[in-house]
Parts: sequence; structure tokens; C-alpha cells
Amino acid sequence: MAEPTAQTRVMIANRGELALRIARVARALGMESVLAASAADRDSLAAREVDRVVVIGSAQARESYLNAPRIMHAAVATRCTALHPGYGFLSEQPTLVEMCTDHGITFVGPTAEAMRKVGDKLSARALARSANVPLTSGSEKILSTEQALEIAQQIGYPVITKASAGGGGRGMIVACSPAELSTSFERASVTAREAFGDGTLYLERFVERARHIEVQLVGDGEGRVVHFGERDCSLQRRYQKMIEEAPAEILPDAARAQLQQAAVSLLSAIRYRNAGTVEFLYDEPTQRFFFMEVNARLQVEHPVSELVTGVDLVRTQLLLATKQGVLPSQTAVRVSGHAIETRIIAEDPDRDFLPCPGRVTRWRPPDGDGIRIDTAITEGTLIPPYYDSMIAKLIVHARSRADAIERLAGALARFEIEGVATNLRLLKFIINHPDYRSNRVDTRWLERTLLPAFRTQ
Amino acid sequence: MSKISQNDIEALIELFDRSDWRELRVVGDGIDLFVSKDPNARRSIDHAVVVSAGAAAPTPVAQPTAARTPPAHLVAIRAPCLGTFYNAPKPGAPPFVSIGQSVSLDTEVCLIEVMKLFTTVRAGVIGTIRELLVADTELVEFDQPLFYVEPDG
Repeated sequence: MAEPTAQTRVMIANRGELALRIARVARALGMESVLAASAADRDSLAAREVDRVVVIGSAQARESYLNAPRIMHAAVATRCTALHPGYGFLSEQPTLVEMCTDHGITFVGPTAEAMRKVGDKLSARALARSANVPLTSGSEKILSTEQALEIAQQIGYPVITKASAGGGGRGMIVACSPAELSTSFERASVTAREAFGDGTLYLERFVERARHIEVQLVGDGEGRVVHFGERDCSLQRRYQKMIEEAPAEILPDAARAQLQQAAVSLLSAIRYRNAGTVEFLYDEPTQRFFFMEVNARLQVEHPVSELVTGVDLVRTQLLLATKQGVLPSQTAVRVSGHAIETRIIAEDPDRDFLPCPGRVTRWRPPDGDGIRIDTAITEGTLIPPYYDSMIAKLIVHARSRADAIERLAGALARFEIEGVATNLRLLKFIINHPDYRSNRVDTRWLERTLLPAFRTQ
Repeated sequence: MSKISQNDIEALIELFDRSDWRELRVVGDGIDLFVSKDPNARRSIDHAVVVSAGAAAPTPVAQPTAARTPPAHLVAIRAPCLGTFYNAPKPGAPPFVSIGQSVSLDTEVCLIEVMKLFTTVRAGVIGTIRELLVADTELVEFDQPLFYVEPDG
């Protein structure tokens, strides 16, 4: 352990359950915390937990959580020594990292350089290729529909268009034939330009019925990278994850070891610092996996990895960044049991997932052994309409997947929420479905099989 | 009017965001959508709703609860965002305004600096400055009262 360091004061540049969690971890570590909040969040649970709140702007994210100059001004003025960006918002903006560096503030995350290398999808693919990580056959950037058609002919259909500048499903359209591709290419490019300010697309061979499997990693910035096991996040709707598990039970041991090693190699190659995730598509019949992307930040679903490894990743992030702790050795990281996270969202599945902000009039989360709730909601909380609709994460841990599902079923049945529509009923329906119970799902299963069944029940 | 989907609403709001429009209201089958760039505008309509459809609970928008409410007969000039408050155009120069001074809508009252970027704050009210609430170079938060003004008439 290093000699006593000066008082650490962490700026939390985020909101909701993660802001609350960072504040609690900081307090437990003897660090002070300052929350840069929007006007809508000045009375949030996180605001009550921190040592100081500064209201940086109005409720709209661009006036507050997306406004890097205001966040930096607040961090400097309140003499913060570190800044945790959370997930979403500015967490993957290299310019925020550089601003922190310029003001002598420790950024709790990777370097700006690493962020740029993995943030651009084409440069991330190049990185994966040089680290010998398997890729789906794909293209470099494509300039026109004609060129797209030519390349798709070489790769073979179905193909998927992807935006070079970002993820989250924007600019991603699957085409099964040249006719489909010629109608979708321009549309995908326009969507990408609107979402990321850059309409550059590339093509990849589309893997049907794939699993989404990702590896949680933490690097020390000097070339050592440790993995904390993998997660199976195949239950998605429009590329938004709904249920995540650790470990990925369908992986044979050999494939699991290869996948973890590929992820470690990729991030070691750029001497990655702090927490990050490498995402893969896994093709079950052939037991092959393909690199998808790197997320240079903590992810929403990190708790399942925490429960199976017993490692608090937020604590690890803060200790590593402030040089008050060291990365554990790989052999010290042991995966035990099975964890499942469900995302509770204030959206109505009966009305095409319409967001339903409003006041929570009843809030009775379940508790008990092996049940964890990450949330910033209490009874009476107003869910503002300006941000993401996720209101809680219900995470369970048990000895086996089957036990974890039983525990989750009980917890979901006891969860009472009134005042806003949520996806609770849908989650219960999913975890009771025979395909889910027997773990025969893929990234399209929710939309292809489950939702139609849910609507007609 | 056909059914309005969530995608339509998102598209509308994006369009509105990029436009010069100040307000937009869409009323249709099971929906009454009102969006405005003026934070006070919601007070002028009956239902304080930002996005509401069907059975969803109405969404009262969190009103900024200002730390201090002005004394009777006075109104506050508030900070438009977080930043450093400067009472004069440059160090050593006389302040923009002082107690007892008359101001009109466009009178410059202070500067707010965010990362070396200076924004001029204007009175937005016609009247007389009665109280200075913030010292030069102090950090101010969004919506914090900076001056109390006694409005004319």
C-alpha cells in the first residue's frame, strides 16, 4: 500500500443508481464526493449521499450531464481530485479525459488515447486483428451503395451495416439480399450521421442466432490486464440489453478460456487502464466467437460479475485510479455460483415500450439472501422524463443457474411498483419461458419468439 | 389522425430540438404532447405534462426549488447555468450594476464564466436593483438568485 495520500475528493459526473453507488463506495473508502447534478436531480438520493451537490444546469442532459465544460468548471471550483464519469453521458468522451488531465484531476477510467483507439469501431477492428482476435468477415469504410453491394457479394449475405462512430443499434440494419441492402444502406448512413455526426458505415457478415457474450476486464495502465469472467447478455430488444447473466453457462470450458484470453490480449496490447469490456458474438453450433466492440467504461450490468467474483468493481476503479490499491492477480479472481440481472425500466411493454415517467406511488423492492437491488428510487420519487428509463436493477446470486432463476422468480413476484408502468410483468414472463429456462436463446429470441408470445397470452 | 408511436414522438422532439420553434403542441388520438424551450411555459397550460399518453400518470415536472425566494415585491435575476460570477467586465473596472440602479430588459448585470467562456447575463426585467446576492468571482449554481430587483409599476 502506498503512503498516506492527500484527501481524495471525487466528482460524480452522472446520475441515478450509479451516482448513488459511487457516492457510497467513495464514503466507505474515506473519500469525499461532489455530485454535479441537473436541476431535476437536486433532491435525488445520490444528492443526499454526497458531501456536496452543485447544480450545473437545467434538466436537459445537454445543459447538464452532457455539458463537459460545466462539469469541469464545477470539479475545479469544488477542488475535486478525481472524476468518475459513470456510464452513458460523457463516459466515453476522450475530450473529458483531456480536460481532466489539463486541470490535474484524475479521470477514473481509461486514457483518452485508449478511448479513441477502441471508440472508433473500424480502428477497434484493426486493433483486434493485430491482437489475433477473431473477427466476422467485414469491410473497411464504405462510401456508396454500389460499393456496399460489391463488398456484400464478397462477404456473403446476410450482412449488417454498422456505424464506424458508435453503437447502440443506430445505423445497424440487417440485409438478406442485394435488394434489401440497396434500400437500407442510405437510410443507415443518415441514421448514423444524425446519431454520431458521422455517417461512415462498414459492413459485417451477420451472424444469425448468435449469443452476445462479453468479458469484464480491468487494466493497470502498464500492460497488466485481469479479467473478471464473462457475461451472457443475449436477451436484448433493439440492441438494448434486458437480462444479463454471469457466467455464460453455454460456453464449453475451452471456448471460455479462449474468449477470456482474447479479451485480455486485446486490452493488454494498448496497456488499457481501469475498467472496460470486450464484447463478442458467439456462434453456438460452431463454438466460434467474433469480436464485436470494446466499451471503455463501467457497464450497467457489472453487478453480475461482482456477485460471482466477490469483487466490488467500483471500489477497484476508485482505488486503482487514485493509486491507493493494486489490481489483484488473475489467479485470485474466482467465479462462484451464478448471477442474473434484470433491468427494471419505466416503459410499458403493452404499448410498444412507451416511456412512462411519473411519480412512483408505491415502491416495495424484494430483499433477502442473494438479492441485490441497485436503484435510486424510493416511494414518492419523481422519475423525470429527460433521461434513460431504467429505474432499478434487480440482481440475484445463487449456487446454480436454476437456483438463481428460482430466486429471481420469487424476487420479481414480491416486487411492487405503482404509479408508473414498468416491464415487471414481461420479465416474469421471460424467466418462466421454457426456452429461457433451458437457456436456448440468442440475441434475436426476445423479439422473434418471446414478445409475440407475450402479446398473445 | 392515425396512432402516434413512440418513434413519432422521438422524431418530433428531435425535429423540434433542431428548429427555431419555441413551442410545439400535438393533440391526437390518446395523446396531448406539449414541448417548449421556455422553462416557464408549462405554467401556461392546464396539464403540466411533458409527454403524456393514455393511462400514464401525469408527469409534474420538477420545479427548480431555488435556495432563496425573493422578499415580497422583489424578483430575482438568476444564474442561467453553473459558473463563476463576475460583477464587472474586467478586473478593476466598475461593476455592471450597483444598488439603486435602474435596469431595463437588456441591461448587462454580470458575466458567468464556464471554462474561460464568458456569458453575459441581462436583467430581463425593468426596475431597480435592490440587493446584490453574490460576491465577485464566487461559484454560482444553475438557477441561483444573483440580484433582487424591484420591478417598475
